[in-house]
Amino acid sequence: MNKENTYPADEKLGALLRESRVSPALPPRFQENVWRRIEDAEAPAKSGGSIAWLEALVALMLRPRFACATVAALMVCGILLGAHSGAQIARHDAEARYVASVSPDSVR
Amino acid sequence: MNRPLVIFLGVLVLGAAIFTGSYFAGQRACANMMQGADDLSWLQTEFHLSDAEMAHVRQLHEGYLPQCMKLCAKIAAKKDEVAVALANGTNVTAEVQKKLAELGELHAQCQAQMLQHFVDVSRAMPPEEGRQYLAEMERITIGFDGVEQSMSPSGHGNN
Repeated sequence: MNKENTYPADEKLGALLRESRVSPALPPRFQENVWRRIEDAEAPAKSGGSIAWLEALVALMLRPRFACATVAALMVCGILLGAHSGAQIARHDAEARYVASVSPDSVR
Repeated sequence: MNRPLVIFLGVLVLGAAIFTGSYFAGQRACANMMQGADDLSWLQTEFHLSDAEMAHVRQLHEGYLPQCMKLCAKIAAKKDEVAVALANGTNVTAEVQKKLAELGELHAQCQAQMLQHFVDVSRAMPPEEGRQYLAEMERITIGFDGVEQSMSPSGHGNN
């Protein structure tokens, strides 16, 4: 290799080749377009942040322990609130039955 | 729509369904469980009556019902008479007025009898519960608390 570099003809040839390489002219607004493409490339990465957050939440929800605890909590809350409401309904129904038995609609 | 969002929405719907199902199951179970055996069960639970007090109240109730039904039958018959009298003409005749007065008299008798029954029942209860019962029954059946306000001059406006 060192031998090849020492040939003066090759140096000349290299210089000629470098001169013959034409650098193409840049298209108009080249730099601006480059920045725009960079910004566009970064934009999906930003929206991907919310997807990542949702994915983390879904992963948490699908954990068996968390899912079981949530289902149990929902059932307990539902049954307690329903029982409270049912007690009120039963009380009103019983009151209405008694009132209807002692005071017919025709005299009220 | 992306997959995590679909799963998230599915989980929310499932959670809402579990809660709603539990709510209505609890409501129905409790309402069925607390449903009284007869018309008087409300008195025992609401006013914490003992079995002896309840037996006395039941006796009063059974004594009152035939009288109540008798007056109700008279009221129904009088209403029919008023309807017939009204159907015979287009004016409020003397006969219609007489029938209406008789109907009002029957209503008054029925209400007086009913109030007397409430007083009797309230005396069969402990004093505080008796007062509460009487106030509640007067409010429900006669409309005390509400009727007086709506019938007052201010309730009628200034016309």
